[in-house]
Amino acid sequence: MALPVLICDDSLLARKQVRKSLPESFDAEFLTAGNGVEALAILRSQEIGLVFLDLTMPELDGIGVLEAIKQDGLDCFVIVISADIQPEMQKRVTELGALAFIHKPVNPEKLVVILKQYGLI
Amino acid sequence: MSTAFSEEQRDCLQELINVAMGLASDKLARFLNTFVHLQVPAIELVNSVQIPAQFEARYSHTEAALISQGFLGNDGLRGEAIVLYQLDNAHRIAALLGYDTDSASELEMLTDISSILTTTFLNGLADQIDNSLSYSAPRVLSSRQNNVPEALQETAVHWELALKVDISYQLVDHSFNCDMLLLIPGEAVLNIQQILDRILEEY
Amino acid sequence: MSEDWLTGPVLEQLNSGVLVVDEQFQLVYLNSFLQRHSCVQLSEVKGKSLFQVFNDLPEAWLRRKFASVLELQSPSFSSWEQRQYIIKLPHLRPATSSSQYMAQNCTMLPLKDPGGRLYVCLLIEDATDAFVYQQHLQSTLQKLELSNRIDGLTQALNRRYWEEQLKLEVQRAQRYKQPLSLLLFDLDKFKQLNDQYGHLGGDSVLIELTARVRALLRDTDWFGRYGGEEFGIVLTNTGLAGAIEVAERIRLAVSNTAVTFHEQSIPTSVSIGAAQLYIEGDRAHEVLIGQADIALYNAKREGRNRVVAFSEGETEFLLRTQQA
Repeated sequence: MALPVLICDDSLLARKQVRKSLPESFDAEFLTAGNGVEALAILRSQEIGLVFLDLTMPELDGIGVLEAIKQDGLDCFVIVISADIQPEMQKRVTELGALAFIHKPVNPEKLVVILKQYGLI
Repeated sequence: MSTAFSEEQRDCLQELINVAMGLASDKLARFLNTFVHLQVPAIELVNSVQIPAQFEARYSHTEAALISQGFLGNDGLRGEAIVLYQLDNAHRIAALLGYDTDSASELEMLTDISSILTTTFLNGLADQIDNSLSYSAPRVLSSRQNNVPEALQETAVHWELALKVDISYQLVDHSFNCDMLLLIPGEAVLNIQQILDRILEEY
Repeated sequence: MSEDWLTGPVLEQLNSGVLVVDEQFQLVYLNSFLQRHSCVQLSEVKGKSLFQVFNDLPEAWLRRKFASVLELQSPSFSSWEQRQYIIKLPHLRPATSSSQYMAQNCTMLPLKDPGGRLYVCLLIEDATDAFVYQQHLQSTLQKLELSNRIDGLTQALNRRYWEEQLKLEVQRAQRYKQPLSLLLFDLDKFKQLNDQYGHLGGDSVLIELTARVRALLRDTDWFGRYGGEEFGIVLTNTGLAGAIEVAERIRLAVSNTAVTFHEQSIPTSVSIGAAQLYIEGDRAHEVLIGQADIALYNAKREGRNRVVAFSEGETEFLLRTQQA
């Protein structure tokens, strides 16, 4: 069965890049959100298995989304994909429950390793 | 000649710049061996005629330093990067980074930091679009400039479009602001649009 | 690449220095330009530490620069305006430059060999011409600034600049509560002197006069030409008694020895008015000039070739005569 996947990034290019970095064998149904508020609306209304989450976004940023997921006890895997790659930020998102932290620009090989690691492919 | 960017081109450029700034920030932190935090910058494409007015508010009550560095790449990518500092910030940065506080060292610190910021950032941008850049030596346009808008007017007149990148960064426990301006001539703007379109087609 | 044969000869004939070191700062390459200028053979120094071969390099600074190139894989620059040279090399313009070393613009570039090893390439461009022009420009600007301050004939300060200094010194004296005095003096009977010996004679008396006065002053005093034959001296940190003493010395230095012009002996004298600063406020310097001027007027009225100090009562006298 196809995995419902949410790609949340304010940049259209970035959303496309994430999708293109995923292997063709990855069986998923994709939804997209342009900011944190949109993402939470989707997360609260339907089952999402995996979220690719950007950090710097208008309205509500990635940190805000992670906090809400934690608070609401929403059940989904989150992989943060960000240009802000300093160690302090990685630590922070991991503490908030993100599975992994991927640097932009996304390296497809690294992404596959992570997806395999968590049995998503 | 149209220098207007489409919504997609703008989005694409913003994303490339965000990523480039993230790479630069990480490199800078590791190099300075001190905690540096560069925020993902706010960028804005402005007609170069508007530039002087844009900086009036921030720099009208303070002495500022302007450092310029030219860049040149393949596919007609070229322009001039200008980094603007408030001078009292510069004194504090020099002290934090362990430069002597005489004026020669301070100028050297300003050109060093500007050059590092500019070249790491633009290299990150070039890498993403399979380009590579060469740079001219950084030049201090003015280190005791009281009239930034006027100085910018003199420089900006040669360029069509300006990409205004507002960089805020934190060094140790202090917050600083500097501005980076990428000034790009008309024909290079068209070349950049072509590069962006090529990327957009790939995705 | 089919143009490989080019790079060697071009590098060797380049009029700029090219130097390559590895990550341990060991010399990998020096082109002919550098070998010739520094009298070093590549074959003898290859593999040696850069800092051993060129032992007067700014080592700490250069290590920091190279580290940034290696770490960030981005270029670094140095301009002769900030650091005149990195490697001490003779230049080829020994006659025209005041510096014995080549001014240098340097670029440090990251390099990577096919095996992935990292290097730094140091490019050295000769900027001695720019350096020489800059020095000429600076000395010209200095002369220009000086000529803006100096009276061409006497070499005393001109009136505008002298008055600026008076104003600044008055403010300083007020701020630090230090005494300050002013002398104004006139060459006596200058018009008569001009008529008798011609303007060249008058000029030569003014020139001789200023030279004699200058010899009696301290570096901290400001001596200016106030008008045709009228001069002013700002005596910093000096009270009225000290000012009268200086004035008396000036008077004697002028009247004791006649000026010789075209084998003629021209006897001269000066009348001097002295005043000490007591007034507060923004216009204090103007009041001070007025007071010294009254004293000078009195010195002339009382028969010339003398020193007269301003005293308080004279303000009233002046006011009375003006009212009358």
